[in-house]
Amino acid sequence: MAEEIMDVNEDESEDTQKDKFMTFKSGNEEFAIELQYVSEIVEMQRITEIPETEDYIKGLINLRGKIIPVIDVRIRFKQDPIEYTDRTCIIITNIKSTVVGLIVEKIAGVVTLKSEDIVPPPQVSELQRRNKYVYGLGKSGDSVKLLLSPEKLIRDEDMETLEEMADYEEN
Amino acid sequence: MSDTDGMLDMYLFENGQLLENLQDVTLEKKDENEFDEVTINEFFRIMHTIKGSSAIMMFDNITKVAHKLEDVFYYLRESHPENVPHLVLVDHIFMVSDFISEEFDKIREGDDADGDPTEILEKIDNFLHKLKDGISDSGAVLPEENKFEEPQHFYIAPANSENSKYYRIQINFLSDTQMCNVRAYNAVHVLKAIAQNILYSPSDILTNEESSLEILANGFVIFLQTQSSSEELNSLLDFSNIESVEIDDITEDEFLIGFGNTADNEASDAINTVSFEEAEKIKDEVKENSKVNNPQPGDFVIKEKDPGKGVKLAGKKKEAKKQSFISVNVSKMDQLMDLISEIVISESVVLQNQDLKVPGLNLTNFHKAAAQLTKFTSELQDIIMSLRMMPLNNTFQKMNRIVFETSRKLGKDIELIMIGQDTEVDKNIIEHISDPLMHLIRNSVDHGIETKEERQAAGKDPKGTITLEAKNEGGKVYIIVSDDGKGLDTDKIYNKAREKGLIGNRPKDEFTDKEIFQFITLPGFSTKEKVSELSGRGVGMDVVVKNIQSVGGSLDITSENGHGSSMTLKIPLTLSIIEGIVLESGDQTFVIETSAIKEFLRLTEDSIITDPDGSEFIMIRGNCYPVIRLNDRYQLQNGLQRVDDGIVILAEYDDKSACIFVDRLVGEQEIVVKPIPSYIKKVKGLSGCTQLGDGRIALILDMGGFLS
Repeated sequence: MAEEIMDVNEDESEDTQKDKFMTFKSGNEEFAIELQYVSEIVEMQRITEIPETEDYIKGLINLRGKIIPVIDVRIRFKQDPIEYTDRTCIIITNIKSTVVGLIVEKIAGVVTLKSEDIVPPPQVSELQRRNKYVYGLGKSGDSVKLLLSPEKLIRDEDMETLEEMADYEEN
Repeated sequence: MSDTDGMLDMYLFENGQLLENLQDVTLEKKDENEFDEVTINEFFRIMHTIKGSSAIMMFDNITKVAHKLEDVFYYLRESHPENVPHLVLVDHIFMVSDFISEEFDKIREGDDADGDPTEILEKIDNFLHKLKDGISDSGAVLPEENKFEEPQHFYIAPANSENSKYYRIQINFLSDTQMCNVRAYNAVHVLKAIAQNILYSPSDILTNEESSLEILANGFVIFLQTQSSSEELNSLLDFSNIESVEIDDITEDEFLIGFGNTADNEASDAINTVSFEEAEKIKDEVKENSKVNNPQPGDFVIKEKDPGKGVKLAGKKKEAKKQSFISVNVSKMDQLMDLISEIVISESVVLQNQDLKVPGLNLTNFHKAAAQLTKFTSELQDIIMSLRMMPLNNTFQKMNRIVFETSRKLGKDIELIMIGQDTEVDKNIIEHISDPLMHLIRNSVDHGIETKEERQAAGKDPKGTITLEAKNEGGKVYIIVSDDGKGLDTDKIYNKAREKGLIGNRPKDEFTDKEIFQFITLPGFSTKEKVSELSGRGVGMDVVVKNIQSVGGSLDITSENGHGSSMTLKIPLTLSIIEGIVLESGDQTFVIETSAIKEFLRLTEDSIITDPDGSEFIMIRGNCYPVIRLNDRYQLQNGLQRVDDGIVILAEYDDKSACIFVDRLVGEQEIVVKPIPSYIKKVKGLSGCTQLGDGRIALILDMGGFLS
């Protein structure tokens, strides 16, 4: 029953957040992530590094007593890391009850992208490999946003490859 | 959640506890010659309650089995047969309780309780027959069969009600009568012989001594359905100390209403016999009584009128017995624990606040108040910790059972001696050590203790002894399983380990006995040639060690060939708050548990010996320790490079020790252990993290993982 209530709530919030995307800048591109995954945006925090982890996992932050891992989106995208400034933000996301903070260069804002504004990424095999985090391109005014699949963003690559292999075998 | 779910939860909880109680008492008394009367009565009541509530919940199989065992106890209670084969009876009790727990498990998982009770029913039937035959031969009178009153029968069967008369009988005792409840029970007992149906109030006359006061005040009221006339009743009820017996004819309907509606009647009766000013009081009392004293399960004959009541009745009974306990949802306890952790942290945030470090502040009063606060928070913390502490009693009882059963299965005579089962350990930890302990006990029974013949040949007492001991020492709990069996054979273990390729080709002399004993904790190691049902699959010991390590504990093995072995579990008292030394290295802050630290040293760079592989060592007072530079080990930025500038911690875990070079020490404090989010994969040597007074996060170094 408790689950049912949660489901109902999710349905409601999905309604108000439908087609809404949080957009942020990383490098020259603007990325977008569905608003339903975003819990809050906080300014840069002191990060405690954890040894022996992947380089894109920057460490842990303490957000009001909750300990949350943060990842650097630029490093995740294999872009050169940049110094953190006062524009640097952490987007706290909750993706299937895994709470992860995304360090992004700059928040752009919230946009509404109707499904007709979204096109799949070009199916060039080489590009496809590189664009594994991007599941679609959204047109908003003059600019194009790259829609991110948050699960792929936070999930370990090895695990992903394994799962892809498993999927492949199943198919 | 629907009502039935709540009922089901209650049902499982209450009856699960009853069942546990049954098992515990059985184990306690298994070595005696027979169960005493109190125990038999208690068992009878337990089975009766389980039977009743299972019937209400429509678990027929459980009902049937419980009923059968109830029959046995009924027979024992009524006929006091001699020469009851006690161990066989114990076996039957376990058989039933196991069956029912299994069914409970199924129900809990949401499956159907579909276990087949036929075999058990037959076995108990046979057992009961044997008991009875024994008695009939000696000429004693068999008691009447305990009729299974199906609690679903809320109406009296019409077949019985033909020609039946219904009476309301009120018995008033003389005001100086002692033990009215027993006398009242006597009356019920007499009437039972002629009764088709009987209801009485107060209904808990056997279990509740307080009821005698009530009977004195209000009289004892019986509703009776019978074929007999009121004269016959009068003659039956001719007891001493009775002031008056009132027998009123009532209709069937009134009888069916029974005590549902009698509060006012009784009260008005009472008004006739007592002074007016007391009347109001009594009226209230009676109302309360009629509320509280619904028929209790376990009293002789009950008729539940409300199918929903059964579960709640059981609840009441438990409360009456253990008034000083309440059961609390574990998640609430966890919340409370989290909250106190936050308070401990906030406290240090306040007390170590940067704002206080302005020079020239007069903080005398602040410090006084702060000291007070610290005192209270630490007391609060202690109490909350103690709430989570549970004695090891239950766990030990389980072991008792395992020894009892496995030793019988193997035909060995083994006594389990338990010492210190009152030792209290954090509930979370208890959950983790139950399985490992079971493995160790099984190992001792199966591998440790020899057969009777072997023991006699070795000149030992044919009866083997396993000692299970718990003690609290230096912030740790020690649980020791020792046996006086054949002990561990170092040659056998060494050969096996070599055969399995676990240790390469090193000769035996290179290992100490202790090291060789540790081989048995390696994965896939088992010296037993044949895989037995009990142990010997070779998965045991490594799982044991893993489980114990997961709660920060360790396993120590000692053994003397031919004289037995002893396994010592060393586990922390609690997992969530530890005393730790906070230290810094590079840009990072770490915590090491205080108990793992032997001493702090200042060393010079040239005292460090470097071997050709680049490993570093140091000699301290004749002992050689490896040197680990934390900065290098975890590639920390901006760390000190020269040992002279920093400080060295000599840390010890189990029998491993090492010198750890860090930049500087910050201080000692109580820290609240939080897990590292599972998103980040496990890093060797880090067991968790914690929040420091200034909001920083420190990583907790787990010496067990760090040194291995």
